Amino acid sequence: MSIARTPRLAAALAFTLVAAVGCGSAENTATGQTGAAESATRVFTADNGDITIPVSPQRVVATGYAVPALLEADAPLVGISSWKRGEPLMSAEDLKKYQELTKVAGESAAETNYEAIAQVEPDLIVIGVPKPVLADIDLKRLETIAPVVAIGPSLPSAWRELSRKQADAAGALSEFDSVKAQYEEKAKGLKDKYASVLPTLKLGHVGAYGEVAKGNFQREFNGSWGTNVAQDMGATYYGQVKVKGGGSKDVSEYPSIEELTAAFSEATAITYSVAADGKVPAPVQYVMDSPLWKELPAVKAGKTFPLRYTEAATYRSAMKALDAADEAFAPLLAK
Amino acid sequence: MSALVLRRGPVSVRVERRTLVLVAAMAVVILGLGFLGLSYGATWANPAKVFAALTGSGGGSGVVIREWRLPRVLACLVFGAALGVAGAIFQNVTRNPMGSPDVIGLDAGAYTGALVAITLLSGTSAQLTTASVLGGVLAAAAVYLLSSGGGLSGLRLVVIGIAVNAILTAVNSWIVLRAELEVAIAAVGWSAGSLNGIDWDDVRIPFAVLAVLLVLLVLRSHAVHQDALGREVAVTTGVGVDRLRLWLVLIGVGCTATVTAVAGPIAFIALAAPQIGRRLARAPGVPLLPAALTGAVLLQGADLLAQVLLAPVALPVGVVSTAIGGCYLIWLLTKEVRRA
Amino acid sequence: MTATRRLPGARVVALVAALAVLVGVAVVSVGIGAHAIAPAEVVRALLDHDGSSDHVVVRDIRVPRAFLAVGAGAALAVAGVLVQVLSRNPLAEPGVLGVTAGAGFAITVGSALGATASAAGELVLAVLGAVVAAVLVYSVGRRSPLRLVLTGVALSSVLAGVSLGLRLVLPDVFDEYRFWSVGSLAGREQSPTTLPLLAIALAVAGALLLSRQLNAVALGDTVAHTLGANVARVRITTLVLTTVLAGAATAVAGPILFVGLIVPHLARRMAGGSVPWLVVYATVLGPVLLLLADIGSRVLLPTGEVPVAIVTAFLGGPVLIWAVRRYAAAEL
Repeated sequence: MSIARTPRLAAALAFTLVAAVGCGSAENTATGQTGAAESATRVFTADNGDITIPVSPQRVVATGYAVPALLEADAPLVGISSWKRGEPLMSAEDLKKYQELTKVAGESAAETNYEAIAQVEPDLIVIGVPKPVLADIDLKRLETIAPVVAIGPSLPSAWRELSRKQADAAGALSEFDSVKAQYEEKAKGLKDKYASVLPTLKLGHVGAYGEVAKGNFQREFNGSWGTNVAQDMGATYYGQVKVKGGGSKDVSEYPSIEELTAAFSEATAITYSVAADGKVPAPVQYVMDSPLWKELPAVKAGKTFPLRYTEAATYRSAMKALDAADEAFAPLLAK
Repeated sequence: MSALVLRRGPVSVRVERRTLVLVAAMAVVILGLGFLGLSYGATWANPAKVFAALTGSGGGSGVVIREWRLPRVLACLVFGAALGVAGAIFQNVTRNPMGSPDVIGLDAGAYTGALVAITLLSGTSAQLTTASVLGGVLAAAAVYLLSSGGGLSGLRLVVIGIAVNAILTAVNSWIVLRAELEVAIAAVGWSAGSLNGIDWDDVRIPFAVLAVLLVLLVLRSHAVHQDALGREVAVTTGVGVDRLRLWLVLIGVGCTATVTAVAGPIAFIALAAPQIGRRLARAPGVPLLPAALTGAVLLQGADLLAQVLLAPVALPVGVVSTAIGGCYLIWLLTKEVRRA
Repeated sequence: MTATRRLPGARVVALVAALAVLVGVAVVSVGIGAHAIAPAEVVRALLDHDGSSDHVVVRDIRVPRAFLAVGAGAALAVAGVLVQVLSRNPLAEPGVLGVTAGAGFAITVGSALGATASAAGELVLAVLGAVVAAVLVYSVGRRSPLRLVLTGVALSSVLAGVSLGLRLVLPDVFDEYRFWSVGSLAGREQSPTTLPLLAIALAVAGALLLSRQLNAVALGDTVAHTLGANVARVRITTLVLTTVLAGAATAVAGPILFVGLIVPHLARRMAGGSVPWLVVYATVLGPVLLLLADIGSRVLLPTGEVPVAIVTAFLGGPVLIWAVRRYAAAEL
C-alpha cells in the first residue's frame, strides 16, 4: 500500500514544502506559489495570521470546534479530530459522517497524530481550538503538510461568526448560508410566537458549562452558552458579571451557592441547562436541591424552564436548541 | 567475577564481563526498538525502506522517517537515558532506591513555570521551554538551600523536597482551577508529558546540553563509583565527597530540567530505570550505564505503546510512563512480600 | 522534648482552653462566607430560625460545613498521631504516605464505574482504597522511615498520574472529578455525611481506648511485651483505625494533606509523649486547624474560594520543612 502511495505523498510533500516557503509567515503576501498542482489561492485572516489558502479546497482536515461546523456545512472533509462533546448535538446524518471519517487527532491538542494527517493528504487544515491551546500543537510541522488556519472560539455567542469563518476557509459557504437562513427564519417565527410573553420576563439562567466547582453554581448572562440561542427568541437575561475576565468570563460567573438568593431574587423566571437527553446535570441539580432554591420567587411561582442543547455551536444544532426551547416555554402561552 | 581489561596505548579500562554482556544486549534491544519506532507510524515502513531513508534516499516516506520519526526516536532514547542517569545519580546521592528527581519538586516546579507561561504570558513554545527550565531549577535550588546544613544525603533533602513539591503542587492546582477553561485544558495537556510532534529543531539544543552534562559525568565517573561504595571509602580514596555530590545533583537536575523543558514532565522513568538496570547488572551501588540504557529502553517502549494503544490517536507518553511506575511499585511490593 | 515537668493539671487546663478556642473558631467560621454574618445573627439563626435567606445559609450550608471540618479535622489528626507513633516517624501522616490518595482514587474510579450508589458504598470504597495503599506503602517502604515516606509519595504520584490519564482517555466519564481530586469542604452540605462522621466518631473512640497499649508499643517491641501489650494485635488495630479515619475523612472532603502532620507536633508540645493525651489533644486541635484553614479558604481571595487542601498544603509545607530541620538530625 505504501509503495503506491509514495509517489503521491512525495509529490504532496514537495508541493507543500515549496508552498510553505511562500505561505505560513505573518507577512501579508498575496503571491501565488509555483508547484505541481496549480490552484487559485486567496489570503485568509485567521488567529495565526494571514494565511494563503486554496480558493476551493478539496481535502480538508478539521479539528476541535471546526469539526461540527464543517460537517454541517458539507465541507469536503478527509480527516477530523474526535469530538465527543459534539456528538449528542449532531443530526443523524452528520453523526454518521462523523463516525465514518478518519480520525487524525484526539480530544486534546497534544494528541494530534501528524503522520495520520499527512497520510490523508489534505490541502487545508482548519484548527478550531482556542488560542491558548495552540501552544500544544506543532503548527510548523502542520504547515509543512498543508496551509493551516486556526479559528478558535472566544466569546460563547461568537460561534455564529466563527463557524461561518471556518466554512468560508473550507469553501463551503453556500451550504452554510442556507442552513443559517433556515435558522434565522425559525428564530424569527418563534420570536413572533412568544412576543407577548418572553420579552416581559426578567430571566436568570443557571448553567452547567465548563467546570463548576463544588459549592458554586454558574450564572449565565446575555451572550453566554445557555442564553444566546434563547435570546434569538426574544428572551433577555438581566444583570452583569461582577468582575469581567475576558472571553467567557465576561458573560458568565461562578458565585458561591450562598449567593443564590441575591443572584436571582429579581428574576421572574429562571431557565437552566440540561443535557441533550433532558437529564439534569449535577451542578444544576445541586442548585435545585439547595434549600435556598425553593425560596426564590420564580421557583415559588413555578416559572422554571429547562433548556437543552445549550452547547450548540453550529446553526443546525442551534435549531435543535430552538425547538427544545419552544417545547420548554410552551406553558407560558398556555396560560 | 570475570573481567576484561581493554588496553589502547596508555589507557586501560577494566570492564566486568557481565556488564559487557548487558551493554551488548541492551544495545541490541535499543536498536530493535528504535527500528520499530522508525517503522511504525500512520503507514508501516518495512526495514528496507527504513534503511533507505537513513542512508538519504527513499523519497516521500523517507522524508517522513528522517524528519519526523527519527528525531522522535532519538529523543526517546537520549531523553530516556538522561532520565535514567538522573535517577541513578539521585538514588546514589540519597542512598535510597526510591529517590528520584520527580520527588524533590523538579517536575512540580517545571509545571509551575509552564503554567506561568501559559496563563500570564502568551504560552509560545519558546516561553514554555524557558519558563519550565527556570521553574524546575528554581524549585531544586530552593530545596537545596532549605536543606543545607544537613548534607546532601538522605532524609533532609528528600523530605524538604516533598514539602516543596506539595506546596508547588498546591500552587499549580490553584492556578489551573482559577484559569479559564481553555487555558486549563492547554495546561493539563502539557503536564502529561508528550513526545508528539518533536522536530529536529526542538532537539538540537537539548541534545547539546545533555551531551555536555553526560561528558562531565563520565569524566567524574570513577569518583562516582567510589562514592557509591560508601562515604568512608570514597573519602579515603581521595574523592571530595561533598563537592562531588553537589556536582552530581547539578548534573541530575540539569538532565531532568532539559528533558522536561522539551517534552513536559515524564514521570517514573528516573525512578524505575536505575533499579531495573541495577538488578540486570548485578552491580553494587546504582551504576550509571545500565540505568541509562534501561531508561532509553523504557522511554522508547512507552512511547511506542502510547502511539499504538489508541491508534490513530496518540496518547501522551507521560500517561504510559506513569502506568510503568505503578507496575514498578507493584513489582517492588511482590518482591518485598516474597522476601518477608 | 524539654525537661520541664508538666503538672497533670496543666494538661487539663490547656485542653479546656483548646476547647474554648475550638468553639470560638467554629462560631467565627459559621459567620464567614460569601458575605459575613454577625455572631449574634448566627446564634439567632440556630435558636430562632425565621426562614430568611441568611438564616437558611447559616443553618443549612455553613453549620454542616463546620461539622464536616470538625469531623475531618479530628479524623486526620488522630490518624496522624497513630501513624507517627506506630512507625516512630515524626514525618509520617496519612496524606504523605499516600493513604488518602489511595482512598480518593478508589472513590473516583468506583464512582465513575457506578459502584457507589450510597454513602455507605463510598465509605467502603474509600476505606478499601486506604487499606490497599497502606499495605502497599508499608510493605515496600518499611525498611526505613525515609523509604516509607518516599514510597508514599511515589504512590501518590502514580495515582495522580493514573487519574490524569483516565481523564485524558475517557474524558466524558472522568472529567467531573477534576475538582474532586483537590480536597475541599465546599458544597458538601447536601451529601449524606452522617455515616462517615459516625465512623469517624467510633474510630476516634477506638483510638482513645487503644492509646494506652499503643503507648507501650511505642517504647519498642520488647518493652511492650514486658508491659503486657499484644504487639501484633495493637499494630493491626492501629492500622485498621488509621485507614478507617483516613478513608472516612477522604470520603467526606477529598484528599487533604498535612493536617495529620502538623497537629501531632502541636499536640506533642502540650501533651508530651503520652499517647492517650496526644489522641485527646489531636481530637481538639485537628478541628481547630481545619476550621482555620477553611476560614482561610474563604477569605484569601476577593471572590471565590481556595480549596482547603491547597491552604493546608501552604501551611503544612513550611511546617514539614521546619520539622525535618528540627528533628531529622536527632531521631532519624
